[in-house]
Amino acid sequence: MKQTLFRDVAGTVLLALTASICLHAQEFKIGTESIQVHGFGTQGYIKTNDNNWLTMNTSGGGSAAFTDMGLNASSQIRSNLRIAGQVYLRKLGQLGDWRPLLDWAMVDYRPKPWLGFRAGKVKTVLGLFTDSQDMDFSNTYALLPQSVYPIDLRDATIAHIGGDIYGKAKLTHNLGSVAYTAYGGLRWDNMHSGYPFLLQTYGITLASYGGPVYGGDFRWKTPMRGLTVGMSRLNQQITGKGSYDGRIGIPATPHYVEYSKQDWTNQYYGQLVKDKFHAESEYRRYLRNQVVFNGITWVETDVRGWYVGGGYQVNKWFEAGSYYSHYRLFATAGPGVTTAYSDPEEHNFDKVVTAKFLLPKSITLKLEGHFMDGNGSALYPAGFYANVNPNGFADNTNALVARTGFSF
Amino acid sequence: MKKLLCSLLLAASASIFVVQAKAQVIVIANPSVKASDVSKNDLKDVFTGASTSLSGANVVPILLKAGTAHEEFLQAYIGKNDTAYRAGWRSLVFSGQGTMPKTLDGDAAVVEFVAHNSGAIGYIGKATPHEGVKVLTVR
Repeated sequence: MKQTLFRDVAGTVLLALTASICLHAQEFKIGTESIQVHGFGTQGYIKTNDNNWLTMNTSGGGSAAFTDMGLNASSQIRSNLRIAGQVYLRKLGQLGDWRPLLDWAMVDYRPKPWLGFRAGKVKTVLGLFTDSQDMDFSNTYALLPQSVYPIDLRDATIAHIGGDIYGKAKLTHNLGSVAYTAYGGLRWDNMHSGYPFLLQTYGITLASYGGPVYGGDFRWKTPMRGLTVGMSRLNQQITGKGSYDGRIGIPATPHYVEYSKQDWTNQYYGQLVKDKFHAESEYRRYLRNQVVFNGITWVETDVRGWYVGGGYQVNKWFEAGSYYSHYRLFATAGPGVTTAYSDPEEHNFDKVVTAKFLLPKSITLKLEGHFMDGNGSALYPAGFYANVNPNGFADNTNALVARTGFSF
Repeated sequence: MKKLLCSLLLAASASIFVVQAKAQVIVIANPSVKASDVSKNDLKDVFTGASTSLSGANVVPILLKAGTAHEEFLQAYIGKNDTAYRAGWRSLVFSGQGTMPKTLDGDAAVVEFVAHNSGAIGYIGKATPHEGVKVLTVR
């Protein structure tokens, strides 16, 4: 087992080293415009003592099916006009499936510091890290707190096709500055994401999942140096279409439909950054009432997640971090849907310690321990799926996460 | 006593060196930039992508690839080493909030670029000739 772990970690570091040495940021011209090309990639390995996690076979010899990468191109056409886009692909156990996706692509026009517009497929601003969650090199943790940033549900909040209005303004009387974003558009999920994967347990195969979204974010950089507080709101009207094979008693149909009766997220956050130290905390409430099985019944999941964490850069090469992540699900449902779950299936309390090593050539290596109480596997995705745990769930899970990454 | 004197002398020499080192880098801007001075915080905001304007007008930061002036600038005004600084910019690039500033090989190239591009703002060694640009006083 130790040999396997050593081999996988050494292999991933080698991969990152090779990629980092071979790949460099590029800048070239098309006509008179300069185009910049940047990229990033990570390779991870997860081993759990029990329960398969994040759709990987983590409880056997561990799994290295944890890879992602992105390639980005951008051009600053004028000081207030920019175009940019990014292709992203990932493999996370049964999710992602190496399919390259247009992650985002947009035009950004900012005539005034306090007024800017983005249009296209735009990254969604939701809390501190939704739009920067893939930037492993800039985060302390190998996995962000899963109660608020579930990596298996990345597709659900990462971007919308539509537009943003945004801006920043300094306040008078040395009261700091404020930044706002308001957005609206459409969200369409990849079918290799967490929610479609969960529905397979119930015999539902989705062909499409998405719909209108709108929301906003407001943050205040306070007069206290390094302290930012803010809040975000996201409203959605989501429709899923596919087929259902009759697996759980409700009659089978080749035209399965589900849709939102209510779907919103509130997120509140604060972050303190002081020199080599940072601390942050966020609370997210995600209420979702979904009419399912062609209107026959409904499922309401009220997810309340929060975390508190921080990190300290000890020296040029090493940063230590830790967080506590608290996930609690309150589920109710209409006729035909079971909501009698055990307590461990309705919560996941995760205590985490991280060691981050900053290697040359912008390579990072992280080793992280997770000590989880509960699996939160009831009714809505929370990292633990019945599909990959056919013998049921253990109450608690310990996990070792190793992740290395590069960027250029 | 001897040791104390030596320590004091060393500390004094070091502080003189630091003051001199900070004075070796100057901030320059295209003449179209309205501001004639800039606060340390505003300068940091512009060069970390937190702000895109000075005195209400858009500005575009220009970076040096490496060298003494670059290191002194980062140390004096940004508070990060080059690796951490560029990682911060890459975060903005990958989240769609910014484009990595143009990075030029030497002081003369920065002067040339800043002089000919409206809104450009950069930094160079104090001894570098800098005709055609304005020098911003850092408050």
